[in-house]
Amino acid sequence: MSSDPARADQAACTEAVLDVTPEAAVVSNLGVASYVLAGVEDRERNFYCWGSMGLTTPVGLGLALAIDDPVTVLDGDGSTLMSLGALATVADRDPSNLTVVVFDNGVYATTGGQRSHAETTDFAAVAEGVGLSAAHVSDDGAFVEAYRVAVEGEGATLIACDVAPVDPEARPPLDASHVKRRFRSAIVDPTR
Amino acid sequence: MDWTRGVLSSLGANDVDLVASLPDAALDPLLSALESDPGIETVTATREESAVGILSGAWLGGRRGALVCQSSGLATTVNALSSLNKPARIPFLGIVSRRGDLGEFNLAQVPFGYAASSVLDEIGIRNRTVSDAGEIGTAVDLAAKTAFSTEEPYVLLLDATVTGAKDEF
Repeated sequence: MSSDPARADQAACTEAVLDVTPEAAVVSNLGVASYVLAGVEDRERNFYCWGSMGLTTPVGLGLALAIDDPVTVLDGDGSTLMSLGALATVADRDPSNLTVVVFDNGVYATTGGQRSHAETTDFAAVAEGVGLSAAHVSDDGAFVEAYRVAVEGEGATLIACDVAPVDPEARPPLDASHVKRRFRSAIVDPTR
Repeated sequence: MDWTRGVLSSLGANDVDLVASLPDAALDPLLSALESDPGIETVTATREESAVGILSGAWLGGRRGALVCQSSGLATTVNALSSLNKPARIPFLGIVSRRGDLGEFNLAQVPFGYAASSVLDEIGIRNRTVSDAGEIGTAVDLAAKTAFSTEEPYVLLLDATVTGAKDEF
């Protein structure tokens, strides 16, 4: 449960992603998004970023252009702000198997909770402004609904989800090369 | 324009079927040829760093990709290369026009363009400068082979002697 009733619970929403699309290839942003995902379930089909801030959504886009399975990006407000332009490329390609979730906790949580520009940024409006379907939710139930619609609908979708800041204990494996090997082996036909 | 043919055939021979790029005057003949090649999917990124992310994700999904951009754009990819491609060992082929040296008129292109190879060396990204147009097909072929075999990026820096310099003055 979220400590702030006006905001969704990031762990509950992450769990919903895995419930609705158990086969999804999930790309998670460095920091909280990856920590929460690893805590919910450290699956083979998780690709955690430990660096490359701002690239989580582009990595998800490239992946969605390569596979037919659902691809879900778990991004953060700070990382999304770092590369808002990438959303224009997502809109241009608009792959139906791609859903970008922006977990907006309003802060740079991994560096000590400094405020981001999220308070004055409407991520769903930004997405729509570059031609990408979008939804804005701020509770767990609305998130699940929006996620189901996004996964079933045509084209890519961005879901901006207001969440309360959390400080999870869990960490994904640190060996990036291991994570990518495990991920790619689970996804790619070995004959390729 | 002949140098572009060698690039296309070597990309095809190595199953590179995705190109992420930003426009560049020197590379325009290549980019046009890539766009009209039915075997290649081209994605125009808004920033070269994002293009590296796209190519990395595509490789995680089983495809092979190439970055086509100019050296000033390569400058935006240093964090991606250092914190994603290098530690996770995710390959792509870079085909980059090297500004800042022979024929360069624009000082803004000089610091990174001239130093691109040294910067890549410092962060452990293998690279080679191609100065002879006759070598480009072989260089692309062998660079792709080593990149996708070792699972690390390889960047070819194309001198103005290959692509032709922009003549502003």
